[in-house]
Amino acid sequence: MAPAPPALDASSLRARAAVLRGMRAWFDARGYLELPTPALVPSPALEPTLIAVPADGRFLRTSPEMAMKRALAAGLGRVYQIGPAFRAEEQGPHHSLEFTLAEWYRVGAGLEDLITDTIDLIGDCAAALGLPRPRFVRRSVDALMGPGAPAEPVEWFRRWVEHVDPQLVGPTIVTGWPAWQAALARQVGDQAARFEVYLGGLELANAYDEELDPAVLSARWDASDAWRAAEGRPPHPRDPAFLEAVGRMPRCAGIALGVDRLVMALTGAPDIARVQVR
Amino acid sequence: MAQSYETSDFRNGLKVEIDDQPYEMIYFQFVKPGKGTAFTRTKLKNMITGSVLERTYRTGERLDAAEIEEAEMQYLYADGESHHFMNTESFEQIAIPSGGIETEAAYLTENIMVNVVFFKGKPITVALPNFIEDEITYCEPGVKGNTATGSTKAATLKCGATVQVPLFVENGERIRVDTRENKYVSRVK
Repeated sequence: MAPAPPALDASSLRARAAVLRGMRAWFDARGYLELPTPALVPSPALEPTLIAVPADGRFLRTSPEMAMKRALAAGLGRVYQIGPAFRAEEQGPHHSLEFTLAEWYRVGAGLEDLITDTIDLIGDCAAALGLPRPRFVRRSVDALMGPGAPAEPVEWFRRWVEHVDPQLVGPTIVTGWPAWQAALARQVGDQAARFEVYLGGLELANAYDEELDPAVLSARWDASDAWRAAEGRPPHPRDPAFLEAVGRMPRCAGIALGVDRLVMALTGAPDIARVQVR
Repeated sequence: MAQSYETSDFRNGLKVEIDDQPYEMIYFQFVKPGKGTAFTRTKLKNMITGSVLERTYRTGERLDAAEIEEAEMQYLYADGESHHFMNTESFEQIAIPSGGIETEAAYLTENIMVNVVFFKGKPITVALPNFIEDEITYCEPGVKGNTATGSTKAATLKCGATVQVPLFVENGERIRVDTRENKYVSRVK
């Protein structure tokens, strides 16, 4: 039996509108071009743990990343998009099959620039609700996981979920991720050049110093398809236009931020359903 | 093969078996790191000892269903160690050690019918009705006109249980009690 749809919460939806207004103002003030891209895409994702909703021979996007990077290769230097993303088999108080991502890219920027920008953007969104700007601390994955972190990915994440994630209650930037979690980020030494943002106990955003070599991404895609096969899932078709564009893309950094969760973190909503219209 | 539950079947009240012990699920939450695998966090209450276990299961992992049965039986009496019950059709008698059902035992009065819970054929606890009505046999006198919420006093019920009641409730009145939280609900006319 389907659960009864929750009643809409007007004050949460007003807060959401204020956050969206704060974001757009932030992007406008810094010369970001709004770049809507299709919700229907030819390729779901590189990551082995993202499961897409199939739709008429294509997929509902799990993020707008691949299409936006084609715009960077075409010469746009600062682009953003606030729009829907869809991830199958994700449902709970912090997860919704359909959710809203704010995603932006900046040519010439590195991770430090993006950390500064993200803290500033979140601060503006908090201020739009009359709240103090969150003060972020930085933590490294190694320090959080402690010694003897499991090498096997599922056990690695089990430790993360059981012991690390519950500690991340305050505003935190988490850096130093293992290389096998690089996805579309560059690998530097044995680490992925990416960071994550936590606020209000929620994983809010994920940022990359972007990988520019199509051969590197193709090899990672093979590894992801092997993982998928071991899980009994089909391989993900690739997006040739994306892989071709990556080779022409200038050095850049980009980030995807969950808008619903940002509103949850700022308003204290316990369930993502409260900040959405369902 | 024993019945089992997959993570997508998880819900509060699910009865499962872990390490030969029966547990009731009292909390579950889907959790998935952005780049990671999906899990369900759970809290499981041991149906015999009452202790709570926290476990995390990967999506697709299964838990065995606990072999739980309930039978309506008549409460007979307590001796020092156990509470005794009888099947009123077969006249078979069973005993549950007192330690495991201290909270529930306060509501048991001689000859009442209750559901006895069995795990693999062995009686482990009683399932009380969620609400009972009973008479107050002792409490301090009521304060007339005091309907303020927040202030309470202890009241002893005929069955032997003690609950906190509002100050305006009088000795000899019948009240409705939520047995799950040992909590006063209302007066009963």
